[in-house]
Formats: sequence, C-alpha cells, structure tokens
Amino acid sequence: MNPLENFRMAFEALSGNRLRSFLALLGIVIGVFAVTTMVSLGEMASAGITRDIEGIAGRSIFIQPDFNNGANFDSAPIRDEDIQSLQALPVKVIPQLFGDIQYEPKPGDRRSLQLQGTPGGLPGLDPTTKIARGRYFSESEAKAGLPLAVLSDRAAKDLFPSSNPVGQVARLFFADGSRADLTVVGVLEPPSGIFGGFGSSSTVYAPIPYLWASGNFRRDRYDFVLLSLNKGADAAQVQNQVRRIFENRYGKGKYSIQSTESFQSTLRNITLILQALLGAIAGLSLLVGGIGIMNIMLVSVTERTREIGLRKALGATAALIRQQFLIEAVVLTLLGGILGVVLAVGLLALISALVPFFGVFVLSPVTVILALRVSALVGLFFGVWPAARAAALDPIEALRFE
Amino acid sequence: MPPVVEMQGITKVYRSGGGARVVEVRALAGVNLTIEQGEYVAIMGPSGSGKSTLMHVIGLLDSPTSGSYKLGGVETSGLAEPELAKVRNQRIGFVFQAFFLLPKLTALHNVALPLVYRGLGPAERLRRARAALESVGLGDRLDHRPSELSGGQKQRVAIARALVQEPDILLADEPTGNLDSHSSEEILALFDSLNKEGKTVIMVTHEPDVGARAQRIIRLRDGLIVGRMGETA
Repeated sequence: MNPLENFRMAFEALSGNRLRSFLALLGIVIGVFAVTTMVSLGEMASAGITRDIEGIAGRSIFIQPDFNNGANFDSAPIRDEDIQSLQALPVKVIPQLFGDIQYEPKPGDRRSLQLQGTPGGLPGLDPTTKIARGRYFSESEAKAGLPLAVLSDRAAKDLFPSSNPVGQVARLFFADGSRADLTVVGVLEPPSGIFGGFGSSSTVYAPIPYLWASGNFRRDRYDFVLLSLNKGADAAQVQNQVRRIFENRYGKGKYSIQSTESFQSTLRNITLILQALLGAIAGLSLLVGGIGIMNIMLVSVTERTREIGLRKALGATAALIRQQFLIEAVVLTLLGGILGVVLAVGLLALISALVPFFGVFVLSPVTVILALRVSALVGLFFGVWPAARAAALDPIEALRFE
Repeated sequence: MPPVVEMQGITKVYRSGGGARVVEVRALAGVNLTIEQGEYVAIMGPSGSGKSTLMHVIGLLDSPTSGSYKLGGVETSGLAEPELAKVRNQRIGFVFQAFFLLPKLTALHNVALPLVYRGLGPAERLRRARAALESVGLGDRLDHRPSELSGGQKQRVAIARALVQEPDILLADEPTGNLDSHSSEEILALFDSLNKEGKTVIMVTHEPDVGARAQRIIRLRDGLIVGRMGETA
C-alpha cells in the first residue's frame, strides 16, 4: 500500500473530528510556539546586543592597566612611544586621559563631571562619536593646547540647562582647585541602544595637551587607549599584536586588552545560556503537549476498535495499522508545529516592530525546520504506544467490541 | 478445481487462567469440512456450539490449534500475520451482522476500502467500487454516508465491499440479524443471485428459514459437526 494513502486517511480521520483534533494539538501549538519564540527572541537579542555595542563602541579595542591584577599607571604605563607603535596597526589610535572636574551651579556648591582628554577631531577617528551641535576641536587646536571643550549631551544639560552651550565659556575647577575656563565648541549626540546608558555620563572632553599643561595629569602619559578598528581588520589578530607590543615592553599580564567583540561574545554567551534555559522550559510544554497527543491517540484507538478490526478483516496488516496511527499522530503534531511556528512568526514580527532593541527580525530557517522536525518527532514518539496497541488488537475481539 | 475450503481435524482450544487453574475450552473439537466452489452453505447451531469460531477460522481471522485448513488448495497453517492479511484481502469477503461501515466515509469509499490494502490507485479503486455498488443496485447512493442509508442499503453496501475484492468466498455472519423482514428478504435474494452467478457463499445463522435457502446446512454442537442437510442432529 502506498504510504500516501495513510496520510490521506490521517487527514480524513482528523478532519472528521475537527474540534478534538484542534484541542489535542493545542498543546503542541503552544509548545512549538514557545520554543520558537524563545529561541528566536534569543537570536534577536544577540543581534540587538551586537548592533548596540557597535553603536556605542564600534569595533574597537580598549587598552588600560589591568587594575584587577594589581597593575597601576606606574607598573603599566601608556607612553607616547607606545602610541607610536600602535599607529602601525590597522586601527585609528585614540589615546585618552580620564579624570574628573567640577563645576559650580551655585556659588559654594561644586559638583563633579567626568573629564576626558582626547586627541582633536575625535569623530573622524571614532565613528561612534557624533556631534549634535557645533564641532569637535581640531587636531591643531588640540596640539596648541587651547582651552576648548566638547560636552556630552548630559554635561551640556548640567552646565547650561537653559541655553545653547556652543560658544559659551564653561567655568570648571580641577581637583587641585585651579580654575579652567573652557570655551565650548560642540555638543555630542546622546548614545543610542539599550547599552546607551553606559555612555550617557556627564562628560567634558578637552584636548590632551591642555590637560597636561594644567599640571593635573602626568605629561606624556595616557590613561587608556581606544583603538578603533579599520574596516576589514581582524579584531582577534590586532588584539594579539597589541598584547605583544605591551608584553615585550612591560612584561606579561599587566594590561587589560579588551575588544568589543570579546565583550559581545560574552554577552552573546549569556543570551545563549538564557536561550537554552528558556528553550528547555518551553520544551517542557512540548512534552506536555506530546502526552496530550498520546492520550488522544489512545482514546482514538479505543473508539475506533471496530474500525481497526474491520480494516484487519479487509486485509490490513498489523504493520499498516501501526503506520496509520503513527502517521495520524505525526500529522497531528506537525499541524500543531506549523500553527505554532506561524503564531511565533506573528508575535516576533510584532515584537520587532514595537521594541527597538529587537529591531532585527531573526527567524532562521534552521529554527523553523528544527521546530517542525521536533514536532514530528514528538508525534512519532508519543504515537508509538497507541499505534502499537492498535496494531496488536485481535480482529475478532475488535469486531466484537461494542 | 480444488475445494474452496478443505478442513481436516480442525480444533480450537481457548485457554484462560494461569498456573494450576488453567481452564480449557474446546470451541472446535475436530472439524472435517469440505466446501466446493460455487456452493451455498449455511452453518447453524446454538450459541456456544462453535459456529462463530468456525467462521473466524474459515475467514482466517483466527488460527486453529491443530488440524489442516486448505483454502483454495493452499495450506494456511503456518502463514505469518502479513500473509494471512493478504489472503483475507484477496480471497475472503466478509459480510457482518452489524455492517461495519466506516461512518465518515461515503458508500463509494467504504466499498473501495479493501482495495486500498491491495495497493490499487485511487481511480481504479473507485471505478471498481462504483461497479460493485451498481451490481447490488446502489448506483444512485454512491455519495451517501452510512447514516443516510437504510439497514438493507447498508448491508448491500457491505456486500458490495465484499464483492469488490472478487473473493473466493463470501463469508456472511448473521447478515440479516439486524434487518427487518422486508430488508432481510432483499438481502437473502441478493445472496441467492450471487450464488447463481457462481459465488461461493458461507453463511452463519441461527434462523432456520435463512439457513433453509442454502443448498447445504452444517450443524454444529459442542465444537463438532453433528449433522448435514437432510440429517438430523
């Protein structure tokens, strides 16, 4: 007998009992829906994380003394000559200073802001730095040590709550109490994405030579270096080259050299674990759905005892009866799987349209095929016992069954 | 041409219980029976006489405990389940008291059902099923479901389902048991005419007037044939 006949019969049997078939496969629908949604949301979160981190940090590498392992600026310095060496790599080198500076909203009330020393023309070096108003100070202005400043979006609001800061002079105070009157030339765009919060500090950006000249920073030393990778540069390879440069000069294990890619992969691993966990929980509902299928198939076998007896009398072998009920179970769960995937696609499309973080709609064919394959397997697995019972029925007993 | 049914010393023993309390029931206690091609035979006897068991053995739904059963000259003992299913499909046409039509299928598809297991394509199955239904006078009821048919019509559909197999034997188990007298007469007339066309009919019944239409009556008591037509039990 052609196995397609059994598929046709399965559809006939199932459509003859539409409500019950639907209720029976509801468990599978929910299970497949849950698993597919969880897995895809995980993938979408990964894509969102990747995109957001690139949005704040680009593809970049951070170099700083490894403070966690007891290194400090003396044992792990970053000098001009190091910066020179880094220039040879396929990166834009952005050495920076880091500290704080105060302002006086009211006389006698001083508050702290972050202070960051940078080279001139930062937006040209680091694609994630974007000017909202005015401009960034130029490299020649920076080299000349001019008292200029660019403000982060929040710093602009803190310092000039009610007016356009560009062109105004910000009166600031270093930690040693000395005054710094900086002319504001630009304001940065606020960072975007869910990780934007990390970058939304109140920060004043000033030229490095000016900060050295102020006496508050050690001349010719930097606090950390940001390497913005050129297009096509391999992050891991550059990371190794950087490590070699610093290890050769200062010894092993003194610098923390992190790339955004390693940060991304850490976060992706976390989402992967979450994904697996949620997927497993959702998989439980698939298990419950499978048991529901087994139950309904057992009921169906009992109900159709006489049909089974008749089919055997008419020449159906036990193997064909088994196949018939197995196919029925698989068709049932596969339909449930298809419905579940369709529902999941709907929900995911909705989520990606409404929640910007999940803006990248990911539904890999692998997930879909896996979901359908798993639902078919659930049918096969939970259909085996009912089908075996059907196949084992004695035709005489079955025909006598009332 | 070999006899359709040739039985030698057929016994059927049912065991129930376990251990020391095994109860044995001898449903058939050594039946010798030969039925020739084209015969019309009635198997009669009180309930518990073994007539149902005999019918099941003839129909290969049950296998004897001992003895030899040749169906159309072919020994059936020792055949495995798939082979028995195949022989049933090709040689035995069952007609049951309770019709046993599948309620969700139309008359046409009910009749085509045995041919599914013969591996015929849908078009050929339906062509043969239509012809079989027409031959029992139900050419105008092809698309009716069993619930839309009268008892007599249902039984005619069931007979068509047996005929479509072109079996060696039409094996009918109390075929008029669920029918009123008018429909019974109709069905029995149909069996008469099928037998006239050369079909071998074996009918299990407890109604004497039904049995009387057969050329030969086989009476069973306590698992043994106790009388044939003309003889008394």
